[in-house]
Amino acid sequence: MGADILVVAEHKDGKVKKTACELLTVARTLAAARGGKVLAAVLGPGAGQAAAELGAWGAETVLVGEAGFEAYASLKWTRAICEAAAARRPAAILMSVSSLSRDLAGRVAARAQAALASDCTALSAEGDGFKIVRPMLAGRALVTAVHAGPGPLLATLRPNVFTAEKPAAPAAGTVEALACADDPRDQRVVVKSFAAGGGTRPELTEAAVVVSGGRSLGSADAFKVIYDLADALGAAAGASRAAVDAGYAPHSMQVGQTGKTVSPVLYIACGISGAIQHLAGMRTSKYIVAINTDPNAPIFKLADYGIVGDLFEVVPALTEEVNKAKA
Amino acid sequence: MKIAVCVKLVPSTTALIRVSADGKALDCTGVEMVMSPYDEFALEEALKARDKAAGSEILVVSVGGDGAAKNLEQAYALGVDQCVHVKAPDADAAAAARCAAAVLKTFAPDLVFCGRQAIDDDQWLFPGMLGELLDLPHVTAASSFALSADNAKAECKRRIEGGEETIEIALPALISAEKGLNDPRSPTLKGRLNAKKKTVTVKTPAELGLDAAAMAPALKVEGYAPPPPKSAGKVIAKPAKEAAAELVKLLREEAKVI
Repeated sequence: MGADILVVAEHKDGKVKKTACELLTVARTLAAARGGKVLAAVLGPGAGQAAAELGAWGAETVLVGEAGFEAYASLKWTRAICEAAAARRPAAILMSVSSLSRDLAGRVAARAQAALASDCTALSAEGDGFKIVRPMLAGRALVTAVHAGPGPLLATLRPNVFTAEKPAAPAAGTVEALACADDPRDQRVVVKSFAAGGGTRPELTEAAVVVSGGRSLGSADAFKVIYDLADALGAAAGASRAAVDAGYAPHSMQVGQTGKTVSPVLYIACGISGAIQHLAGMRTSKYIVAINTDPNAPIFKLADYGIVGDLFEVVPALTEEVNKAKA
Repeated sequence: MKIAVCVKLVPSTTALIRVSADGKALDCTGVEMVMSPYDEFALEEALKARDKAAGSEILVVSVGGDGAAKNLEQAYALGVDQCVHVKAPDADAAAAARCAAAVLKTFAPDLVFCGRQAIDDDQWLFPGMLGELLDLPHVTAASSFALSADNAKAECKRRIEGGEETIEIALPALISAEKGLNDPRSPTLKGRLNAKKKTVTVKTPAELGLDAAAMAPALKVEGYAPPPPKSAGKVIAKPAKEAAAELVKLLREEAKVI
């Protein structure tokens, strides 16, 4: 095991995602502590274009896989990351919590003989190894654990928990091709098509601000007040399980134990009482705002700011105030 | 077809979890234990696949402590053919995947179903690792699953950032289940009575050829803690319009988040 830190950097059509910048910021600290370098692997269409930006965020070397990576294929992606890991022998491999890492991490851990720690909310160099903190039992407990090899640590990091900070001076960002030959066996599982959905709002799991509605909205149409506030804030829209089960919002919007886990900078819960399953999906948010008619709703125990009142009056008023403040 | 399902017994979603006084362990005394909810979708999908492909059999594997027998009785009540319990109360997700792989290597399944994550450790590790150990392609968090007419491949849907993928996977394959993949059936009274007559095959990791190194935890746990307590928040007790104005001011000037 070497001292380098390998970041699997996600991007969209060559534009580096904020989550990748968060990983690179953490990777710089870890690499400095270990006396190693920050490496980035970037795969898929536009990967080459992302390389310069990854250098600016501190990647000394950027391993680019573009030709042969036109369409996502989990077996090929696994092979590429594992071959890079085998060649560079990083002390740790970092990924963001995303659909990509959910799909790949287990396979990569098995093949690269890495120890996986998912959803880390803290990660530091500790002696010859690393120390991580991660929530388990849907956030009902936090576990602290150390890794000391023999293989690398594979950590997935929760978005928005680590702050992305650009280094004072860019790193070299030297581009190297991530060569990975085609193998017909990779075709055993392929993405045939992709249907875009979800509209123009940011992705729920990545958004810096999330506005969520509960069952007290009463109908799918009433969710408009939630969408209006979300749009005023440039936020993603979420929903409680009760609202989803009642048919007011699609399952893709569900925040909670059997839905999505979000960790935004600001979470605004509107008409959500705060069932334990819902808290599981949002309790690591930095600031929590609760708007509810019931002053005893459990959500207020977690809220930094609370308004006891009717969401149908408070939320539109908030939208108006946000728009006023922007003007 | 040979179909395998992996299930895990976990504390129920509403259970109150306490941390021991020394912070070294989680105290689950008196906590209701249930089948991890995503595993219920996996089990149902296996039953549906068996209904479709005549002559199929289902093997269910559960790795864990003695309580795992509860899961397996539930599986028998639903009508699965065989159950194996690997007794490994301290196995982490990676060790559990090695145990399941050792059982399934001899079974040689055409299809393996598991939940996308166990809701106790929340690692999302097991399905991908098991797929790798068995050299099976996998789909993570499938929200739909349809076998082709000849049972040689399947089409799955998977929700990802910004939309939904349609994925084609060749059998043999491993599928991890998302909530809503299906509507799990309940056991019938006859099923429950039959379950009492069935026996679970019990194995130890050593009997499966797994040594102490294979079962060693991937990370050394230093301790557990309850989620950090939050200090009391600010409640704005004003009429809607004034409260909204004050909240926006606080979010801009105090929290500096908008």
